[in-house]
Amino acid sequence: MPDERKMRVLLSRDDWYHQRGYWVIASALKDAGFEVVLGGIQTPVDIVQTALEEDVDVVGYRIMDGAPKVLLPILFEEMEKRGGRDIPVVVGGIVPEKEETVLRELGVRDVFHPYSPLQEITERIRRIAMERRRSRSDSEDEKP
Amino acid sequence: MNKSQVMEELKEIQARYEDEVTRLLQKLPEGDREYFTPSGLPVKPLYSPADVPDFEYTADLSFPGRFPYTRGVFPAGYRTRGLHIRQVTGFGTAEETNKRWRFLLSHGANALSVVPDDGSGHRADSDDPRVRGLVGKGGVALDTLYDYETLFDGIDIRKYSVHLITTNAYGLACYLALAEQRGIAPSELRGSMSNWMRPDTECLDILEYCARNVPLFNAGYLDMRNVREGGCTAAQEIGFGVAVAMAGCDALLERGLEVDDFLHRLTWFINAGPEFFEEVAKFRALRKVWASVFRDRYGAKDPRSLMCRMHCQTYAPTLTIQQPFNNLIRSTVYAMAAVMGGVQSLHVNSFDEALSIPTEFSALLSVRTQQILDLETGITKVVDPLGGSYYVEWLTRELEREALDIVEQVQKRGGGFKAWDWMCREIRAAAVKAQAAFDRGDRKLVGVNTLVEEEDIQMKALRVLEKHAEFEALFEYSTEFAEKQIRRVEKVKRERDEEAVVRAREELAGAMREGRNMVPPLVEAVKQGLTRGEFARVKAEVYNSPGEGPYVCAPPAVLA
Repeated sequence: MPDERKMRVLLSRDDWYHQRGYWVIASALKDAGFEVVLGGIQTPVDIVQTALEEDVDVVGYRIMDGAPKVLLPILFEEMEKRGGRDIPVVVGGIVPEKEETVLRELGVRDVFHPYSPLQEITERIRRIAMERRRSRSDSEDEKP
Repeated sequence: MNKSQVMEELKEIQARYEDEVTRLLQKLPEGDREYFTPSGLPVKPLYSPADVPDFEYTADLSFPGRFPYTRGVFPAGYRTRGLHIRQVTGFGTAEETNKRWRFLLSHGANALSVVPDDGSGHRADSDDPRVRGLVGKGGVALDTLYDYETLFDGIDIRKYSVHLITTNAYGLACYLALAEQRGIAPSELRGSMSNWMRPDTECLDILEYCARNVPLFNAGYLDMRNVREGGCTAAQEIGFGVAVAMAGCDALLERGLEVDDFLHRLTWFINAGPEFFEEVAKFRALRKVWASVFRDRYGAKDPRSLMCRMHCQTYAPTLTIQQPFNNLIRSTVYAMAAVMGGVQSLHVNSFDEALSIPTEFSALLSVRTQQILDLETGITKVVDPLGGSYYVEWLTRELEREALDIVEQVQKRGGGFKAWDWMCREIRAAAVKAQAAFDRGDRKLVGVNTLVEEEDIQMKALRVLEKHAEFEALFEYSTEFAEKQIRRVEKVKRERDEEAVVRAREELAGAMREGRNMVPPLVEAVKQGLTRGEFARVKAEVYNSPGEGPYVCAPPAVLA
């Protein structure tokens, strides 16, 4: 039975000041038919908590100031501990080129840089969300 | 001919000229015929006195240092009040940030600003596992008075104007305690903080305490710069800011203060964006709107209350990862608008800010940009050098009119505090609109949607610099900062007198419960070693809420 609910995406960010991209992307995702859970400013611990409570299909994490390779391992570690390691994570914000490779190796599904066209962002997130829905319903079907 | 006949004749000539221009423009493809500023004002190819027909020099402009202050707040401009070169600084622990401050000062920066790290808003100390990964990131880790002592080590706070980027009474308390250690009386202490006007006890306690006890400290703040970064227009930057200031004013009048007790201690944090002339006009229009609103509606009499002073940071959303050295040119032009607009204090963004936080190398270039503008270009010689330009005067009037209209719209929705959510929606709508214009290519950004390079030679150059062993080309966050900071917090917690901390904490909580001003007991508590996380927890307990103000995140919600 395919899941008919709207795709749900959690958006979180790591700092207090920079939020333009966060809101622009939230609005674009909503217009593209997603249900957007606004996590606001969250620590990795908070993100995992909200992602599980809200049962989201994708987590979008906005990171500033060149620390993605520090924050993502913490996020994944927390997901390992509390569950939700299968929720795909995408990252946006300030991601230096050489860190993008590191992030993808860690398991980040996609990385968006400033001025990525909005339509491209929403389409790529939709594909990732749908893929997860499919693999989830497959594994549900396999349950006895 | 009398004056009105001259104007009529001019209008006739101008009408013929504009017809000719229209004919020329009609030969262009449709999209190239009309121009607008980013605020949406239509822009003609030429302006003349006919565009500002009822312009009155004395009423509209007067002289710098005189009402309505359109041309500037100080009579001799930068000649007597030189530009404050103030670069926002903050990374790692207080040691790293202090070192960067000294570096900047030794190269001619003459004012300071400090930004706390991303861990500091989470009601936790740096040794709390919740803020792992955020310690010393995006700013400096400041947990206790000890950190402030280290931060200000060797820095003369009588000599340099210091700005604390915090809305939190904790930062102020540490600064007051530090001044006391150095024998500086509260009545002599200068400086400023980002205590931006909002309807919470902490904000108003800070304003009230400083108005009564620290009269030279700029305790109130209108952070419209970050609102502009969020996407709003130049007119909204003025209008929303003035409306919020009015709401803060009302709240302080209710506490029994007089408008002239505090109004001159509110300062602006403002942006300088890409549209050069509109930005110059914005600073001028803001000064005029501020002076008229607070004189006419609030009865402010002290000229200092009517003088709108501004710290400016150049616009960042147009800084690009692509061709990163182009950002030097962008920020220089934005800074020119700020200086020609007469700001008091300036931060010029570094070229690498779309990639990371600035290094010594890039921060120094930002200082040099300001020094070159000041020492080499002559733009600081004359006050309001663009005053009298028909275009700039027309823009100033348009922005003034629009900003006053926005103030009315906010008032209709209950004023600057109550209508904050409405303003946020307006700001976000403007951001979405601007993004769509970039995506369509209607608004150009070199290296992003036009003049894109397959081989980015500037990026290549940056990579070469990065490979240089003795040179930090791009800042990288290190977890060593956090390890060091955790040791610093633990040291304070180990060495402090726990009983004294408990007593000070109780005293503080008692004052807050009874509605007394929280600042005096907080100063005592920080001296005993109370940490910022402990203060945040007292606030959460007393107010029986997760916290107040924009720095405490709303619980997750679905976007409506």
